[in-house]
Amino acid sequence: MLRRSLLAVAVAATLAMAPPALAQGGAPIPVGAIEILSGPNAAYGTAIRAGLELALEEVNAQGVLGRKIALTVEDSAANKDQAINAARKLIGRDKVVAIIGPTLSNEMFAVGPVANERKIPIIGTSTTAAGITEIGPYVFRTSLPESDVIPVTLARAKARGVKTVALMYANDDAFSKSGFDTMKAAAEKAGLTILAIESFGSKDTDFSAQLTKIRALKPDAVSISALVEPVSGVLLQARQLGFGKETLFVGGNGSNSPKLGEIAGTAADGLLVGSPWFVGKDDPANQAFVTRFRAKNGRDPDQFAAQAYDCMHILADAITRAGAAEPAKIRDALLETKYSGVMGPFTFTQGRDPASTEGVVVLAMQGGKFGVAPQ
Amino acid sequence: MLAQQLVNGVLLGAVYALFALGFTLMFGVLRVINLTYGFYFSAGALLALWMARQGAPIWLALPLAALGAGCVAVVLDWVLLTRLRRIQAPELSSLMVTLGGVLALYSALTSWLGPDIRRLPPDLVAADAFHIGEVRVTAAQLLILGATTLLVAALLALMRGTRLGLAIRAMAEKPDAAQLMGIDTGRAAALVSFISGCLAGAGGVLIGLNFNAIHPYMGEAMMLRGFVVIIVGGLGDIRGALLAGLALGVIEVMTAGYVSSGLKEAVAFLILVAVLWTRPSGLFGRAVLRRA
Amino acid sequence: MPPWLDDLLWTYQNLVYALGVNGLLALSMYVVLAVGQLSLGQAAFMGLGAYSSALMTLKLKLPFLAVLPLSVVVPVAFALVIGVPTLRLAGVYLAIATIGLGEVLRAVYLNVDLFGGALGLSGIPERATAWMIYGLLGLAMLALWLIGRSGIGRAMEAMREDETAAQVMGVPVQRYKMGALLASAMLAGLAGCLSAHVSSFIGPNEYGFEPAVTILSYVLLGGIGTPLAPVVGAWVLTLLPELLRGFSDIRLVLNGVIIVFAVLFLPNGLLAVRMKRIGARTAA
Repeated sequence: MLRRSLLAVAVAATLAMAPPALAQGGAPIPVGAIEILSGPNAAYGTAIRAGLELALEEVNAQGVLGRKIALTVEDSAANKDQAINAARKLIGRDKVVAIIGPTLSNEMFAVGPVANERKIPIIGTSTTAAGITEIGPYVFRTSLPESDVIPVTLARAKARGVKTVALMYANDDAFSKSGFDTMKAAAEKAGLTILAIESFGSKDTDFSAQLTKIRALKPDAVSISALVEPVSGVLLQARQLGFGKETLFVGGNGSNSPKLGEIAGTAADGLLVGSPWFVGKDDPANQAFVTRFRAKNGRDPDQFAAQAYDCMHILADAITRAGAAEPAKIRDALLETKYSGVMGPFTFTQGRDPASTEGVVVLAMQGGKFGVAPQ
Repeated sequence: MLAQQLVNGVLLGAVYALFALGFTLMFGVLRVINLTYGFYFSAGALLALWMARQGAPIWLALPLAALGAGCVAVVLDWVLLTRLRRIQAPELSSLMVTLGGVLALYSALTSWLGPDIRRLPPDLVAADAFHIGEVRVTAAQLLILGATTLLVAALLALMRGTRLGLAIRAMAEKPDAAQLMGIDTGRAAALVSFISGCLAGAGGVLIGLNFNAIHPYMGEAMMLRGFVVIIVGGLGDIRGALLAGLALGVIEVMTAGYVSSGLKEAVAFLILVAVLWTRPSGLFGRAVLRRA
Repeated sequence: MPPWLDDLLWTYQNLVYALGVNGLLALSMYVVLAVGQLSLGQAAFMGLGAYSSALMTLKLKLPFLAVLPLSVVVPVAFALVIGVPTLRLAGVYLAIATIGLGEVLRAVYLNVDLFGGALGLSGIPERATAWMIYGLLGLAMLALWLIGRSGIGRAMEAMREDETAAQVMGVPVQRYKMGALLASAMLAGLAGCLSAHVSSFIGPNEYGFEPAVTILSYVLLGGIGTPLAPVVGAWVLTLLPELLRGFSDIRLVLNGVIIVFAVLFLPNGLLAVRMKRIGARTAA
């Protein structure tokens, strides 16, 4: 452990002192990102930006094709029109060779076609809804779609003796709804009996009616697809309403955030969630990432930051292999990606989704922190 | 299950009523669609959070945060609305100025504090649930219920039993006449802003405590339901806000519990539309007031 | 066309479309405010136009020249149904009732599979052109300007100033209110159809409370003296966030502060010019 942190410190120190001459071989390569930096959903975009910027420092210390990458991050304010305007500005004026983002699946449905029309590769780091990469041949994503993660989590729940399940989801955002569709299909496929399906709004704070109804049905597990804020609220209220250890809570991708522990505290204990990454993941690459992220931002990275961090490295790697900062060549190089980052080994399918699911681990909440779930 | 659902409904209704008390007062007396109300709610909660982190107990943090939110309300009212009142600007420009104001305020608060959800220290109020038969209620929920009752009683006493209340009611009825009768309407307006701000702040603390989620936009999320409650209850009608809040809470919970949770949100607005179509000035409203 | 110009146009294409569409929305708000009605159903009408036209394009494969005029059918029908009971309401009661109807529609989009739920409808082909958008905007402004100058315009202004007095003077108040609501539904429906066919994706959250307030703010900022004023308001409010892009995290703060100052010092709108005809006070 000590050696690792020493190593991380050494890496950080070297990076800080890296001679700028190393990377100066020509004009910087323009790359764009579109994230939510203002408004109520800004937490996601700012986490992603922090991950991107950390990776950018490392990439630029090495240099890409002897040049640096100049990253322009544009705000979408979670607004479709502003996201499109940002994409058009990045492509038309800044002449970016690739775009990372946008934050929400809904935004990608609007922005993806714009990038695709101009043949600029666009890589979503947090867009997990179904149908994203079907927008066109230039649309990629590095976030595992829910359909690869949820079956693993539900299989673990089943191994723990779960036979009946109640499903809860936020019905007003694409991410949660798409996750729920996957959850329902996976539960049916796993042979679990679905006792109830209850929805709520993603800005709701009261879930007592739905939870009281579910409690009367006594399911073995409650599976929730929503972003971390409502999931925390559901868990807190579930404990108030008397849900105990006999009910297993299962989360979707949205629950995989250190904020769950911060908001819900011990109420979240026992929750299972599948993820290709978690903050305590015990490999040197991840430990170095977490240490550097903490040093730079003063807090733990979440999944959004980790995905963004890997994505920036994957893109830099593709530009290097493409041999030229040209969008079409970068696209072809992206398809050939063989990268190993903090999320584990990474390749794309021919459909431009992440290929490997071997990195998925099932995590459990304990004492407000995620750890690998006991069998 | 029915008993628990009824309790759930009453508690949610108390939350709605608590939010609506100051809102209906501000709306009914000052006759302005003031969108900054939700901001006082957030401000109160964030102030209490800050004090609780300095180690203040809840009985100290709650009133101080409420007073702080009241002061914020007076300042904002002065900055945004005094000039418009003086030049007797069209009433809709007041709506517009508060719209610009909340956009700036929420965004400033978010870029200052970050958009994350925070929670109050977990031991601020005991988290245990009380059992009454098979029904469970938490301390925070009882606190909300008690505070709502207390605030309604205090407000009614103020409005009915004091000279100040008389002045405020006179202003709500006919501002020009009130001024002619020697009421300093400027001071009364500031006072109403202060009281509404305090009520909003107290609501923010209690509701933040109950749902354990405090963030800059928490007031914004309550505004739409707040409108439903004060319109159904009748503008400026404190008892109406209480009754409409409770009714809305119970109906929403019953809909989610026994019909479909997908309809929970829609039902509030269906009721609103149905009430207005049959009673154009709200369920408890008296006459059609011509106000823009 | 030189490549730099082509790039420039491409870059700002969506902004150019949005300016036109938001101009139509501002007019849709203007027609109801012009008769003194604070009716905030524009976002809801826009949503009906957007969803119905997107479904006509995606499911029925109708040509756009048929879809565009048909896109007013559903919003206008909805306005006819809700009009009679809703128009009895006054002031904020009317405002909140129309917002409530919008929220009910949003719940319908979220819960009915035909509308795609939270995932909305995606893959809508880009069919609308700048010519169509600005042609319709120009036509609408011209029509509203002509109406405003005519005797109807005088009656409308009388209603706005004092509805009871106007009724006593023989203005068919109810008929004008209904007419304004239908015109509003038509304009918003067209705007919805056009915006759906330039941005490939529509979702239920684009037509709720916040957009309703945004559309109102176009008119409040611009003013209601002439049909040009609300359009100017829409343009300013659409351009502001793009002009402030350089400020990233605090751009919405500046946006809000600018609105506050504009209203405090120009409470009757940026363009407080009145139509020549009557010398009455322009009030909202």
